[in-house]
Amino acid sequence: MMLIEADGKALLRAAGIAVPPSVWASAELPPALPGSGPWIVKAQVPVGGRGRAGGVVRCASAGAVGIATQRLLSARLKGHAIEACLIEQVVEGQERYLAIMVDAVGYGLRVIYSAQGGTEIGQAGGAEERLCAPHAGAVAEVLADLIAGEAEPIRGRIAAVGHALARMLLRHELALAEINPLFVSDAGCVAGDAKVVIDLNAVGRQPEIAALITARPDCYRDANRKLAEAFDYVEIDPDGEIGLVSTGAGLSMMLVDELTARGAKPLNFCDVRSGELRGNPARLIRVLHWISACPSVKAVLVNIFAGLTDLDEFAGLLVTAFGQCPGLTVPVVARLVGRGAAEAKQILHAARPGMLVTEDLQEALACVDRIVNST
Amino acid sequence: MIRLLSRTTPVIVQGITGRMGSSHAALMRAYGTNIVGGTSSRTDCREVAGVPVFADCAEAVLTTGAVASVVMTSPGETFAAVQDALAAGIKLVVTVAEGIPLHDAIKIGRAARRAEAQWVGGATPGLAVPGECKLGYLPDVCLHPGPLAIMSKSGTLSYEIGLRLVREGLGQSIWIGVGGDLVKGVRFADLLPVFMDDPRTAGIILVGEVGGSEEEELAAAFERLGCWKPLYALLAGRAAKEGVSMGHAGALVHGETGTLASKTHRLGQAGAQVFSSIDALVNACVRRHRPLRR
Repeated sequence: MMLIEADGKALLRAAGIAVPPSVWASAELPPALPGSGPWIVKAQVPVGGRGRAGGVVRCASAGAVGIATQRLLSARLKGHAIEACLIEQVVEGQERYLAIMVDAVGYGLRVIYSAQGGTEIGQAGGAEERLCAPHAGAVAEVLADLIAGEAEPIRGRIAAVGHALARMLLRHELALAEINPLFVSDAGCVAGDAKVVIDLNAVGRQPEIAALITARPDCYRDANRKLAEAFDYVEIDPDGEIGLVSTGAGLSMMLVDELTARGAKPLNFCDVRSGELRGNPARLIRVLHWISACPSVKAVLVNIFAGLTDLDEFAGLLVTAFGQCPGLTVPVVARLVGRGAAEAKQILHAARPGMLVTEDLQEALACVDRIVNST
Repeated sequence: MIRLLSRTTPVIVQGITGRMGSSHAALMRAYGTNIVGGTSSRTDCREVAGVPVFADCAEAVLTTGAVASVVMTSPGETFAAVQDALAAGIKLVVTVAEGIPLHDAIKIGRAARRAEAQWVGGATPGLAVPGECKLGYLPDVCLHPGPLAIMSKSGTLSYEIGLRLVREGLGQSIWIGVGGDLVKGVRFADLLPVFMDDPRTAGIILVGEVGGSEEEELAAAFERLGCWKPLYALLAGRAAKEGVSMGHAGALVHGETGTLASKTHRLGQAGAQVFSSIDALVNACVRRHRPLRR
């Protein structure tokens, strides 16, 4: 999962890497701006390419900062609501690119460097990279090679930033730590941006990362849900019309894709991990509560292809969950395949007569289409 | 090792006394897999699912001659379990746990590479040679011997495809879940030569998704090897939200990295048939591979 820039920079700062002075702006504008301007206003959403997407605005005056901030706070960027902005004093200097990431093929770290930093670095292909063992010493060695063309004292300063970045990535078990641009000047090196991808599977033994996520329930709504509930629920469209209760990441993604391709509007992605319910309806109750809290929802589609799950037990838990969610008033369609599907159908029909329970996904999708289009 | 798997391959289950270990050891045996034992730290249990329980892999291998292992421990215990297996000389390790920390996965990958062993997983339902054996928990209802090799990041999406193929009278030659983690054991591109050399395989199904670069690596390998068997690709995650892992730890798009557009473009360029719906993929396989009915 990607961190917002402000949290990435908090990690950089703690690792000893300088970042520009900044203030945080959410519902209200901050009383004072950092430095004397000009400033840069940046949407705090966990996505790349914010500049190209209109999420970064350079402002010459305090008035322009106010206008840009208010505009961004009422917008969405790449599927995320902009809950906050970071306002920074503009930094001057030459721009460099520096990144360290886990290399999945080589089982090591990939160090990437370019003497030309900037927003287009990902596409320009001007960067050089080296693979090394997952140790800070190995990173220092390959980085020394990558920055050999830099003159002192800049070379030494970049090497120090690289060493700190490698230690940060290893200490926090990160997938990616990228600084672009890294401003270099006579005054030293300053990280203009921070792109940090964390490993949610390691958060249990990374208290500082866990604290960053839990401190921002609005910015990391999906991740906080996952950490609290141990399953995945991602809001896709806040105005969605179809709530999904599904299991399996790939099949659930495909379900969202197929619904979208039909012109339908799924509310959410859901991998409830039905094989882990172990007789407890709590996860189903949570999901149905979240779905029924959205006024735009017109139907709920349950889709379980059971590899591990006994469907008769699942159906019993779903009926219990229905009973715990009186706010769920829209029709529910279920597509169930696997062990106990016939018994599950009986259980669901007994609890909700008239509900479509089928093994055929296309039949279920067509039924959902009819419901949505008739309301 | 994967290409040699059969009903005679001796397999152990690490963590066999646990809830998943015991039930799936029994299900794998029932399918035909030659489960010869298991390991557990429990000292009060000497037999599970009709096979002996050993204290560690060294003892299990010495007694049974096992060459493959299915690791059914928790994510945090998986690295230690793989180390135990590799030290005992196991040459194929399947780790099913979902949630292995990324930097543990790097260590597992390095250890397997040093030991010249194959690692499949994590976050995988395992693999199968239908009609012969399965290592993991691919549902029996989806497995049937046939001409199509399947490689998949997703368990459930591959079940869906497998079942529809079976209902159309088509089965699989080899089925391997590579898993949904970013850092994993065998990758799509590693499997291509296995499928190309396999005489049972007439076509290859790729079940991919957003995140990482495996699909792009496969496209490059497909071009490099000059492949003559058809490659059918289904890619999930068109509507994925950027910056957020979509269930699988590896299903993460950030900036230009891991996008569906890049994968679709590279696979199409390499000569794969790329589909955006399950029906379209299954129909294409049926048209080309279903035996004529009399």
